[in-house]
Amino acid sequence: MNQSEYSEELAYPEDNSGLWTSCIARVAEDRDKAAFRQLFDHFAPLIKSFAYKVPALEQPEVFSEELVQETMLKVWTRASTFDANLASPSTWIFTIARNMRVDLLRKSSRHIVNTVSIHADDSNDDSLDMEDLWFEDENSDVFNQLVQQRTRTMIRESLLKLPSEQAFILKKVYLEDKSHSEVAAELGLPLGTVKSRVRLAMTKMKLILDR
Amino acid sequence: MNNESKTMVKYHPDARFLTDFSAGTLPRAQALCVSAHLHYCAACRTRMRELTQLGSELFLLQHPAAPSASAFDRLLGKIEVLPPQSSTDATPDYPQKNQPKREELPRAVAKLARGSLDNLSWQKIGRFFSYSRLPVSDAKHESSLLNIRAGSRVPHHKHVGDEITVILKGSFSDSEDNYGIGDFIVRTPGETHQPVASQNEDCLCLVSLGAPIVMSNWLLRLLMPLINRPRYG
Repeated sequence: MNQSEYSEELAYPEDNSGLWTSCIARVAEDRDKAAFRQLFDHFAPLIKSFAYKVPALEQPEVFSEELVQETMLKVWTRASTFDANLASPSTWIFTIARNMRVDLLRKSSRHIVNTVSIHADDSNDDSLDMEDLWFEDENSDVFNQLVQQRTRTMIRESLLKLPSEQAFILKKVYLEDKSHSEVAAELGLPLGTVKSRVRLAMTKMKLILDR
Repeated sequence: MNNESKTMVKYHPDARFLTDFSAGTLPRAQALCVSAHLHYCAACRTRMRELTQLGSELFLLQHPAAPSASAFDRLLGKIEVLPPQSSTDATPDYPQKNQPKREELPRAVAKLARGSLDNLSWQKIGRFFSYSRLPVSDAKHESSLLNIRAGSRVPHHKHVGDEITVILKGSFSDSEDNYGIGDFIVRTPGETHQPVASQNEDCLCLVSLGAPIVMSNWLLRLLMPLINRPRYG
């Protein structure tokens, strides 16, 4: 486990949402390769880092390069669907990368071996992609954008202040492709402990309220 | 959104299911259940977007890893050979921006059924149930649709694996509560319950059942098609 990555004090890069939004617009309207290059230079290294965190990859370098290519290609082809009222540029690109990572992993041989399972008769993969399971925001208005910005401020302010044990688990879940159960098994903790740490973190960030 | 208050969903996935779903790590059969719930529940859709924002903030905090020197040129090469105005990605289906319609099947279920429940092969079990296993590749869970005839009672049974049920049509009740469309109901191993479908209409449920599936009495008959396959190791 690569604890060092997470124990360092990290700070958020400067918020360039306005710049990325205009780059995406230039890609959409003018097919502007210079603007695309700016997006690539900023986001591709984050996508590559995100791909590398998947455990037990047979060829991490190949997989990571592929995720960069596939994600950035979608950024190019889908630029016209980007709507700043629905999501910030970084959330939009993260969502594409996350969906693509899940789909690529599922289609890779590593995963197919795992899924030839109880159904010997239908080892063919099912047809669902992450996008079939996912729901985009349906409220495209300025108010929605304000809500998103407020949520983001709340997350940023509290994320860096979370107790390290809570932040550590969130990073494992979101970046390392591990479910709560897998994190629990890896850290030798009961599932209930992992669940309650995530829950505490969410409560601090005011993301999940008890119903 | 205003008409949604009349038909509010009561039972929701907990923080763990929502988080794993938004991170993309939930087993597929369970992810299908969460996705079906989201179809009916605007509150959880909002929550899901917040959790995705959390994911993107963690994403931004990573140490960057430089792509290979030729990566951008390769990308431009792919862009050059894209079909003109690559329309494949501009299908009206995506992104799923419109508010989903409650009377329609959840989109992912509709896709698996190729548009209609009649396209699926249904197995009758007795007079009261029919059952169709969905082709979801998940090594540890079975995904299926279960139709319970109006007014019929599911025999008392004990849960041996984690079971998630999402109601797609109709309603049922057990000793604890009444459950309606969109409700996300989790039963853990050892719990017993005896659902009864409401009198006025059939109840259609999406079910994810955890393996290994150890059978007893009625479940044995209900799920016989599943256990005739070799167990995974």
